[in-house]
Amino acid sequence: MVRGQGGVEGATIAALRKMRRDRRRRYAKQVDVMEVLYRIYVGAILGAIALGVLAGVINEAPAEPTAVEWLRRHGPAALGVVVASSLFAGLRIGAQGGPLAIEAAELQYVLMAPLRRDVALRGPALRQMRIGAVAGGVLGAIVGNFIFRRLPGAPVEWIACLALFGALVPACFLAAALLASGRRWGAQTAGLLGLLLLAWSSADLALGWTVSPATMLGELATLPLQGRTGAVLAGVGTVLAAVLIGIGLLGLNGIRLESARRRAALAAELRFSAAVQDVRTVILLRRQLASERPRRRPWLRLAPERHTSHPIWRRGWQSFLRWPAARLLRVVLIGVAAGAIAAGAWSAAPLALFVPGALLFIAGLDLVEPLAQEADHPTRRLLVPLQSGTLIVRLLAAPAVAMALVAVVATGAAAAAGGSMTALSIGLGLCVPVGLGLACCAAFSATADPYAHILAPEVEMMPPVGYAVAAAPPTAAALLLGVPLLSAREAERTGGSLEAVTISAVVYTAVAAAAAVWFLGRRFVKRDLAGIE
Amino acid sequence: MSSPPVLRTHGLGRRYDAFTALDSVELEVGAGELVALVGPNGAGKTTLLAVVAGLLEPTAGTVEVAGHAAGTVEARRALSFLPDTPVFYEDLSVAEHLGYVAALHGVADSEARIGRLLEQLGLAGWEDALPSELSHGMRQKASIALGLVRPFSILLADEPFDGLDPPSRAVLLELLTAARSESGAAVVISTHRPDVLAAASRCVGIRNGQLAYDGAADDAAVAEFFAG
Repeated sequence: MVRGQGGVEGATIAALRKMRRDRRRRYAKQVDVMEVLYRIYVGAILGAIALGVLAGVINEAPAEPTAVEWLRRHGPAALGVVVASSLFAGLRIGAQGGPLAIEAAELQYVLMAPLRRDVALRGPALRQMRIGAVAGGVLGAIVGNFIFRRLPGAPVEWIACLALFGALVPACFLAAALLASGRRWGAQTAGLLGLLLLAWSSADLALGWTVSPATMLGELATLPLQGRTGAVLAGVGTVLAAVLIGIGLLGLNGIRLESARRRAALAAELRFSAAVQDVRTVILLRRQLASERPRRRPWLRLAPERHTSHPIWRRGWQSFLRWPAARLLRVVLIGVAAGAIAAGAWSAAPLALFVPGALLFIAGLDLVEPLAQEADHPTRRLLVPLQSGTLIVRLLAAPAVAMALVAVVATGAAAAAGGSMTALSIGLGLCVPVGLGLACCAAFSATADPYAHILAPEVEMMPPVGYAVAAAPPTAAALLLGVPLLSAREAERTGGSLEAVTISAVVYTAVAAAAAVWFLGRRFVKRDLAGIE
Repeated sequence: MSSPPVLRTHGLGRRYDAFTALDSVELEVGAGELVALVGPNGAGKTTLLAVVAGLLEPTAGTVEVAGHAAGTVEARRALSFLPDTPVFYEDLSVAEHLGYVAALHGVADSEARIGRLLEQLGLAGWEDALPSELSHGMRQKASIALGLVRPFSILLADEPFDGLDPPSRAVLLELLTAARSESGAAVVISTHRPDVLAAASRCVGIRNGQLAYDGAADDAAVAEFFAG
């Protein structure tokens, strides 16, 4: 029967701490110290080389006064939109039971033990927050190290402010998620609150205000450019961030065991898939985690057709028309973010012109779903009376057109953010070939066979090869859009003909996209041949 | 029932989107009862046990365990749950698992208790084995030991006999009966096994998420339930 309760909780906490300590020690004992040191050594060398290359590439000339003024006036609000977006994402993850991925056994034995759940979960939550804050802080410091060379202000100020901002953003993201999961907010409540925060920050950006807490935190990132008022606002933003973190950690007791169990099972699979760079499985598991299911009723029902002249094209659009609202919104927001970043990079940081391509690539991973499903089922593919190469190319048509539409959204956002017609003329010219090229890059990732690299004996000796293969498609996507944008910017800067650059950019992207389509078709022809043999 | 029930559900319901897994379940289990929970596949047995254990939340009604709402610290102190699929830390041995769970529940004489359980369940000699080294049946036994090593007022077991050989099944039934008679704990077992029904003091049948039978556990009555 149940024992007396006095002192049992203290013994339970002591047992929990002891076992966690013992497990950490055991894990540390199993780690090969020389291997870890070697990895740190290699990482440090590669990091130093990357920083050196970046430092060489980045133009260290002071930024133009107009760019500095834009950054001073609108930078906090623009960064506030980024902060609000991360809070929105955090709230949504929290509504789905995140951000903690609790071990199944921990759930069964610790969270079912007579112990307050916040006591049991505080350690893992703090650890996750610490990792995020340290990573964000280091990234912020690196960015600060480059920025102080171009902008007025002391190096220490820039590095410190950006390191603190970088640390607070992931911590706030996790705190928002903990808040939503601890308070048991549903997806609608969390989504609505996130959208309100986003709208508030967007209003700040549009109207030039500093009233949103996220904008106030953005003041911190540009503090060396701001005056006394900016410093006060940055202080308020930092305090509010700390309050959010505190509230998030205090609400741990309310975590829903049901969501935690589901998340624990999926997160374990997700970790494995991510470790082997199995992009397709990661996408599918992430959708399960987010409960992203196709709609029962499509947004628009395609009219029944009498002649099935284009069944593959139709199948692609049937898939898109059943997208859940969250996925649709995500892809549109990615388009908007890509455009806004392109506009910002055009005026202030040209190297960031490679970011929009990489960002749109992420949207492409959702858009190539119809094609990826065919790749998931090789037998079904072989039963279609078409050569695999032809089938895959036809399956690319709908994603490529959808991707072009996202590129149009990005162009609109860039034009709105940059306030110039240049973005419209370049963007609209590039959207079709870029759409095709990016859809190809995404298709390469979504249909890759990760085990081909893991199991190949020659690769086993050289793990980086597997990572390089996995990194190739997003890199190609970044280059596909980044190179024409950079050359167009250079043409504008040197007074060259924008029309000529646009035409050559269209030709460049079209040739690159055509080559990508050919390679993708060949991948499937080869696979089918290997399967038949 | 003379003493207050250890488990009480009132109007208990649980829905998964459009599917109703439990519908207005009214159930009381008193101390010392051994209840066999029966029903066809998909009837709602596992959902009922998970809701009572606090792993799932009801969408309607209430659940009280030892007078406390399911899932609260007090209810968790009183309830032990054996899931249908054993769950382990992959880096802890069988003995470490048992020691840990016993410590989490403040068991004083854990070593003697653990030794006795290992012996009774045929796990002696496997104390230092990691879960990955255990067969399906051994994992099942280790999971059962984890449910029994701690004190409880009510034990919920979801198909605990699956994967066990006949002697182990007999031992487990003996242990559950002993827990009931020696410490007065209530035991609720989801099962299809006739030998469990024979040992049970009461049978509860669920069909389509509703309580369809609550009475004697004799063969004829249960056969009638399944036929109905």
